[in-house]
Amino acid sequence: MALEIVRRATRIVVCAAAACGTAMAADFITVPGGRFASVLPQGPVPTVSVPVEVAAFAMRATPVTAGEFLAFVRAHPEWQRGRAPAIFADRRYLVDWRSPVLLADGGAADRPVINVSWFAARAYCESERARLPTWLEWEYTAAADETRRDARADPQWRRRILSWYERPATTSPPRVGGAPNVFGVSDLHGVVWEWVDDFNALFIAGDSRVQGDPDTAKFCGAGALSVIDRDSYAVLMRIALLSSLSAADTTGSLGFRCVRPGGERP
Amino acid sequence: MNPPLSRRDVLRRLGFVAGMWWAARAEARDIPGDSVYQLRAQLTDQDGRSFELSSLRGQAVLVSMFYSSCEQVCPMIFETIRLTLLALPVADRERVRVMMISFDPARDSVAVLKATAEAHQCDARWALLRAEDAEVRRIAAVLGVQYRRLASGEFNHSSAIELLDTEGRIAARTGTLGAADPGFVKAVRKALSRQA
Amino acid sequence: MNVARSAGILDAHATRIGLAAMLCAPLLSFGAQPAAGDFGPPRGAPIHAVLTSPPNVPPPVARNRPAKVIVTLEVVEKEMPISEGVTYTFWTFGGTVPGSFIRVRQGDTVEFHLKNHPDNKMPHNIDLHGVTGPGGGAASSFTAPGHESQFTFKALNEGIYVYHCATAPVGMHVANGMYGLMLVEPPRGLPKVDHEYYVMQGDFYTTGKYREKGAQPFDMEKAIDERPTYVLFNGAEGALTGDKAMKAKVNETVRLFVGNGGPNLVSSFHVIGAIFDKVRFEGGTNFQTNVQTTLIPAGGAAIAEFRTRVPGSYVLVDHSIFRAFNKGALAILKVDGEPDKAIYSGKELDSVYLGDRAGANLNAVTRATASSAAGTLSLDDQVHAGQALFAGTCSVCHQGNGAGLPGVFPPLAKSDFLGADTRRAIGVVLHGLSGKVTVNGQEYHSVMPPMTQLNDDEVANILTYVLNSWGNPGGRISIDEVKQQRAAPTAPAKASEH
Ligand code: HEC
Ligand SMILES: [Cu+2]
Repeated sequence: MALEIVRRATRIVVCAAAACGTAMAADFITVPGGRFASVLPQGPVPTVSVPVEVAAFAMRATPVTAGEFLAFVRAHPEWQRGRAPAIFADRRYLVDWRSPVLLADGGAADRPVINVSWFAARAYCESERARLPTWLEWEYTAAADETRRDARADPQWRRRILSWYERPATTSPPRVGGAPNVFGVSDLHGVVWEWVDDFNALFIAGDSRVQGDPDTAKFCGAGALSVIDRDSYAVLMRIALLSSLSAADTTGSLGFRCVRPGGERP
Repeated sequence: MNPPLSRRDVLRRLGFVAGMWWAARAEARDIPGDSVYQLRAQLTDQDGRSFELSSLRGQAVLVSMFYSSCEQVCPMIFETIRLTLLALPVADRERVRVMMISFDPARDSVAVLKATAEAHQCDARWALLRAEDAEVRRIAAVLGVQYRRLASGEFNHSSAIELLDTEGRIAARTGTLGAADPGFVKAVRKALSRQA
Repeated sequence: MNVARSAGILDAHATRIGLAAMLCAPLLSFGAQPAAGDFGPPRGAPIHAVLTSPPNVPPPVARNRPAKVIVTLEVVEKEMPISEGVTYTFWTFGGTVPGSFIRVRQGDTVEFHLKNHPDNKMPHNIDLHGVTGPGGGAASSFTAPGHESQFTFKALNEGIYVYHCATAPVGMHVANGMYGLMLVEPPRGLPKVDHEYYVMQGDFYTTGKYREKGAQPFDMEKAIDERPTYVLFNGAEGALTGDKAMKAKVNETVRLFVGNGGPNLVSSFHVIGAIFDKVRFEGGTNFQTNVQTTLIPAGGAAIAEFRTRVPGSYVLVDHSIFRAFNKGALAILKVDGEPDKAIYSGKELDSVYLGDRAGANLNAVTRATASSAAGTLSLDDQVHAGQALFAGTCSVCHQGNGAGLPGVFPPLAKSDFLGADTRRAIGVVLHGLSGKVTVNGQEYHSVMPPMTQLNDDEVANILTYVLNSWGNPGGRISIDEVKQQRAAPTAPAKASEH
């Protein structure tokens, strides 16, 4: 079954708009749709996990690299450091680059771009006729390991994720192109945090503290979300990071990748 | 799956996009970097007219987000803004503009916005606005509003009212609902005093 | 939004209660009366708070008016030693575990800046138990890496308060060392003492065993099961021992600010050899006098004071005592000065006490020692001396009649294991025995500790006694044989190797 999926994952090569005609091109992998139980409640009741149908989409095989982002800001100077308006990118935007159009060092081109804001990430994806993934799409793809679509119940899967969390981000992230998961997508764990399009939808009530908060006025309607599966704390930590961010924020371990809608129907 | 574009297609699209951008840049040149008006969003108001955020530049503006079918908090947001306006001296009151942006473009058609405006007795100072989903997410991001659509069609969202100064910078924000927040009213008056 | 955040006009994160949760928020004050600790608006120029690393405590506030105090605390994620040769990635407030000590005056208006270092991976926040308001500041201080948030509170209640990170998963952030203490001094300050120290207990969960070398990752399973690998004072074994021991002189007053970060354990805090003259238990206003051991809840603190009387090393422990000796909960206060024999004499007598097991009295042992020295040691001397020593050393396990306890302690009476190789028994006594061993057809799989307290004479005499009792084959073990075996570098005997 696992092999079957890999074989079906057709590779669509899309010309990155910023670098069309050059050697630059991104691999988008078709991720077939499926039923998926998110750690965040998706159904009407905020305390019960209802599996939902995730539609097929095509996701970049790797995070956007510094080299790719450099080509983008060359083609779109308004997104260069120093030119991007403060409301779209904070003062640490691309702070690790040597200049607005020069990377940190020679070897950095195939490392994920970091210190990018949500607005900048979105603009990049638009430039290659794509968009940022939703949280659900990201979580769905990242639940896989090399052989299984949903490896989340395996403590080993969890441990691998946590081992990355443990290391402070003092060194630059590794090069992209790690072992692909069963869908053919790489680097979802152990490389960088990644922006999702609906990062500002992830306002959840912390693990234990505000369950059943009667103060529903704070969040119109149902009150804050709950995380259903307490064992998914590895995933919860990613949600915690995303929910701490404003859209102009950048951090030294936060990058992104893009998705395109559609993809093959299995 | 989208059909692959021909190279000419791509170039043409690119040229078009770039052209739009530069035209916009020229206009936006002197908008401060931290202004919400940096966002060039395509909106439509309750009368079906297309609307530019930056068209309110030069005025003090109260902004919030809502959706029409909301029964709990959103009516209170309208009410709170009304109370805030009432808390201002009469002369000031008329100079404040209000932008209400819908989370729910699927259901908040122009006609629904119109009806909502009437239900809350919104006069000409008020603009009730809709935009496409992706655009709404971007506007919310600029305003620091969090929201998510529930399966029921309802929305969870944070509820705050923001004050934009004459340059479109967020000058104050209040989470108080159901009454005028004195600190916020003061901030509005200050913004108005800077208004030419 | 940065605009809002840095301008501080509004609580940009108030809407972001999301993960910043509210576990430990103090209850809102009751009634409409202004709170007792509100002495009006801050007066004078703002003051930057002096923060200290443990075990140091900032100097007393010494101020007679409420002020605006600016506290800047930086969160740093970093690898540090947790034990000799063992490292752990701690998440810290100010680079240390526990975090920097904060000291303000009741009624002060505290402008709090929380910085999350750009090299950090995690978002963090702070819940100060000394804050009156939802989440204790947690929601307002939720901060992404490379960012800073600011919020302001009035320190209404005096006392010693824990602060900690409250970002999900809360337990993990706390287990990684994200806690510390804030002292809110009463308006007239605390009585003067000679020394103030800052000690905080915490439990730690690593995938490796206690003292297993190398970089040890956090173990969530152990944390949930409340099975700590380490229980520590000030975040590392040896943080407060040896050169780093706290110091005082005799006849000085010592005040300990003792917190417990948890995340799980409650501390039975005790100083061996000292009685606390006064304890502000639970950090509250009431105090108890003449306290031996005070209970410090997880997320709680106490102030313990005593006068030093007698020089020596005073050991601070969690008196749930396996934690002290097997998980690291040990610290030392070294008191220097002249002894005072009137209060404590020091050792006046050192003799063997055998209790009611002594039986055959120790004259036999003395006699054997003497004849051995004279070169006239007889088999009889050895057996008699050995009998007395066996009663005090071996009979606890192997029983007075050498029969052992079936399945637990193998018999020495008519033991085929012993009979097969009497010399091997020397090694068993000197180095202990572990692993599988079959004695008279029954299998034992247990551990006998090495009897390191016995000298060569004693081992020889005991074994000679064993060989000549309960129908065993007889024979004699000489002192020289024991000497030789002791000199030979041997690992503890592995029963299964025989
Ligand atoms: C704390 C309990 C304890 C004490 C005290 C103790 N032993 Fe043992 N002893 C054991 C255990 C348990 C074993 C079996 C070890 C195993 O399973 O590998 C054992 C095994 C032995 C054996 C080998 C097995 C046999 O039965 O022949 C000898 C010999 C022996 N002990 C002698 C002594 C002598 C002599 C002393 C006193 C100096 C002593 N032991 C004190 C627990 C003890
Ligand atoms: Cu933390």
